Amino acid sequence: MIAKQNFERISDYVWQVQQNFRGDMRAPARLYASEELLEDALQDESVTQLVNTATLPGIIKYAISMPDIHQGYGFPIGGVVATQAPDGVISPGGVGYDINCGVRLMASHLHAEQVAPKINDLATALYKNCPSGVGSEGSLPLNAKQLDDVLEQGSEWAARNGYARREDLQRTEEYGRMPGADAGAVSKRAKERGRDQLGTLGAGNHFIEVDHVVEVYDIALAERLGLFPEQIVVQIHCGSRGLGHQVCTDYVNDFQRAVREYKIELPDRELVCAPLNSPEGQAYFKAMAASANFAFSNRQILAHHIRRSFEEVLASIVKDFDLFQIYDIAHNMAKVEEHAVDDKRVKVCVHRKGATRAFGPGSAVLPDDLRAIGQPVLIPGSMGTASYVLIGTAKAMTETFGSTCHGAGRVMSRAKAKRQVRGDKLREELGARGIVVRAGSMPGLAEEAPQAYKDVSQVVQVVHRAGIGCRVARLEPLAVIKG
Amino acid sequence: MKRFEEIPHTADWSFRAFGGDLCELFENAAHALFALEGAQARRPADETMRLVTVSAIDYPSLLVNWLTELLWLQESHHETYLRFRIERLSPTELCAEAFGAPLTRLDTPTARIKAVTYHNLTIEQTARGWEAVVVVDV
Repeated sequence: MIAKQNFERISDYVWQVQQNFRGDMRAPARLYASEELLEDALQDESVTQLVNTATLPGIIKYAISMPDIHQGYGFPIGGVVATQAPDGVISPGGVGYDINCGVRLMASHLHAEQVAPKINDLATALYKNCPSGVGSEGSLPLNAKQLDDVLEQGSEWAARNGYARREDLQRTEEYGRMPGADAGAVSKRAKERGRDQLGTLGAGNHFIEVDHVVEVYDIALAERLGLFPEQIVVQIHCGSRGLGHQVCTDYVNDFQRAVREYKIELPDRELVCAPLNSPEGQAYFKAMAASANFAFSNRQILAHHIRRSFEEVLASIVKDFDLFQIYDIAHNMAKVEEHAVDDKRVKVCVHRKGATRAFGPGSAVLPDDLRAIGQPVLIPGSMGTASYVLIGTAKAMTETFGSTCHGAGRVMSRAKAKRQVRGDKLREELGARGIVVRAGSMPGLAEEAPQAYKDVSQVVQVVHRAGIGCRVARLEPLAVIKG
Repeated sequence: MKRFEEIPHTADWSFRAFGGDLCELFENAAHALFALEGAQARRPADETMRLVTVSAIDYPSLLVNWLTELLWLQESHHETYLRFRIERLSPTELCAEAFGAPLTRLDTPTARIKAVTYHNLTIEQTARGWEAVVVVDV
């Protein structure tokens, strides 16, 4: 077990386990946390999992974890590992089963008071129009050719078929289309699982939320993004559904043989990996990119249904019910990026597992209108609490391979949450606070109770004060839609 | 002997399965999977049967592939499985029958298992028989 005394305090919010802590580490392991969040992280296997990621061949600088770190499998949730490209490794477990699980934020031109009389109707329309829940099927079943197109074109496919605007793509990480995607690298079984799931939310911690902007920390940045106080905005949190789960399952299984072939020894079989430039590494990268495109397209189709719902409910009371996109980001992905390491620009493969890209001002990959300010970062909190909009920073580029946290981070198991909280009671409590809930499953709602998570404001405060994300605005929910 | 026990896990689900021999261990691990998802008992008249054959490089991988195959059958046939019979088991191959019933609202899980992971995966012989630890992603 790792204890607090095994950490060296590098700065107020950075803690490091040195490389000599364990003989198999290839780099130090760093955790961004306050003292309190570090102590939380030491309650389960999170920190051991962080140290395990420091054993990956080709790792550069250090293994990193964000303040929302919690126990996962293989990587901790909140983990970031960069390996040298092209001969360092890529690990399917370092991305996880929900490939390109991510968040989209759309904003209206409406004030909360304009929507308040219709918030119940809006929640009902969103629940009806956006398929959710375990095993949910979309309104858009795809034939084999269409599915291959989605896998290779992502949100471009959605735009060609009337589900996206060009401006949406401009405000999406990778412009909604991961390069290098190859539908041929995705198994028949994965495609079967995905064929009827495009435009579905799923279950678990995935949600659609109607929020209002309750606080603006940086007026100039908020204005540049199109945010203002009391504005109605909408968040979507979901990923690549069964298709992505199957791709990860397929490749974690295949890589069990690959690690033997490449003589890679690891402390956990879920960390299996192969050199990025090996046939196995390339096949996984192509399939992961294709799954990411499915997820971008999935959130795009849901965005289309949300716009339709706003029109359905609000057209009779307001003139402008339109929603424009603030940004769409991934928080489970491996990407080849260029970063400064030891004063040189080098290509690295950055794994972000429950962590968000947070590119700072000047980044060449950002669209023209964002390049001067940096990339928007979306941090959803637990149900019924706050969410945050941040902006990427120059410090994130030099310290964390342009990465920051992704959410609140769980502290309580699902079983315990269900024992402590009743879904119907929770819905009543949220209702009393003015938050409308539409959920398919009351036990499922209980699993996502706010007390099962860390305080997102504490998490965000750490990344803000550590300088790897700059707070722009705080959102609070008015309506929550869950499967 | 109890079939399995749940192990606390912060974000996902984990269980320890027990068995007098390896066949029973694999059967009880399958029970654990569907019990965690909230499967309900059914009338025998509703029972369906699926044949499962999987291969792998060793017993732990075989356990992952067996459970993964059952999840795939569940999703593709909209069924839940309540009884299992391992017909043949070697370190690299398993043949089995899974008996189940169509999924209904009664046992629609709160969160479906996304995948069976290799994290902390163990199969060990103990004084009482065999034990396996499995973590699943939900």
